[in-house]
Amino acid sequence: MIRPDAELLLDIQDLHASVEDKPILKGVNLQVKAGEVHAVMGRNGSGKSTLSKVLAGHPAYRVTGGSVRYRGQDLFELEPEERARLGVFLGFQYPVEIPGVSNLEFLRVSTNARREKQGEEELDTFAFEDHVHDKLKVVQMDPAFLERSVNEGFSGGEKKRNEILQMALLEPVVAILDETDSGLDIDALRIVAGGVNQLATEDNATLLITHYQRLLDEITPDYVHVMAAGRILRTGGRELALELEQTGYDWVDQELAAQGAA
Amino acid sequence: MVHVGPRTRSTIVSKGISAGRSSNSYRGLVQMGPNAKAARNYSQCDSMLIGDQAAANTYPYIRSQQPQAAIEHEASTCRISEDQLFYLQSRGIGFEEAVSMMVSGFCRDVFNQLPMEFAAEADKLLALKLEGSVG
Repeated sequence: MIRPDAELLLDIQDLHASVEDKPILKGVNLQVKAGEVHAVMGRNGSGKSTLSKVLAGHPAYRVTGGSVRYRGQDLFELEPEERARLGVFLGFQYPVEIPGVSNLEFLRVSTNARREKQGEEELDTFAFEDHVHDKLKVVQMDPAFLERSVNEGFSGGEKKRNEILQMALLEPVVAILDETDSGLDIDALRIVAGGVNQLATEDNATLLITHYQRLLDEITPDYVHVMAAGRILRTGGRELALELEQTGYDWVDQELAAQGAA
Repeated sequence: MVHVGPRTRSTIVSKGISAGRSSNSYRGLVQMGPNAKAARNYSQCDSMLIGDQAAANTYPYIRSQQPQAAIEHEASTCRISEDQLFYLQSRGIGFEEAVSMMVSGFCRDVFNQLPMEFAAEADKLLALKLEGSVG
């Protein structure tokens, strides 16, 4: 929901970033305020995933220009774990498997790291077990998943639900969901979307990076941004996503060509 | 591991961790004597390499005088990948703690077999030993 007096959570100004010396982001501008849901759409290679990784602080990506302020603070001065503890959450497109590390243990340690920053008491093993059982309901996940290693042997849908479970536990201020809908069937998509909707409040914000309109049937965006060649080409409301579904991305090539010529 | 009698069974689990510029070698002998009919051994050698200068070698020695004894050997290698580390960091877990979690996870099979107090100490010692040697 758009409120004019809402806190500016994320202020991205002219962001440039490269990976292995190849420039990917070429001047991204984006403002996200509390209570808002933003969708960033675009073709493969447009820089959507790179944007999410740069915001989270992935070491393979180098910021070469511009700035990002998170609640007034310079985001790039913070280590990735600091950003997470302060409420920046990245839902990965391909959550990695970590054999040997128990899901329950991992969730407890990360939840406590966040709680410490929120000024809340850390939860011991027993208290945490109760706490996590409540949160499992948000994603309709079986408690058996807690005993397994992080994401090990999880199906695509189960991995994505594990991401949203983490979101439910960490209570982020800005949640960036990188193609959370990819590889999901419609039922899994509904569960994931339901979880995201339940967790949205007027004090936090969600940035949905997606290819397809169908996620936006379940989660209504306030703003839709179309990304191409490392920049946001156009911003609109909900209808822009529907328009894209109809017309595809061909118009993007034309517009880029026109801009290149200008 | 030396098998003398028939239908005897054994399992060897070895977890080696190399960090920095170290090179870790596993040398194990599994021997089946002539009377070890229907005896079985399973050996598992796992190596974890931390950093790109570490190395691991496995030298399994198998000596069998009993054709009806079964000897199996499996070796695996893994690294702490940048993606795994980043995943943990993106959840608020600091670098050192993330490495420690992954190393503990790697050793879990072995630590679980030890008496609890000893396992807890071994775990802490391992974390201390690796402090500063990663990254």
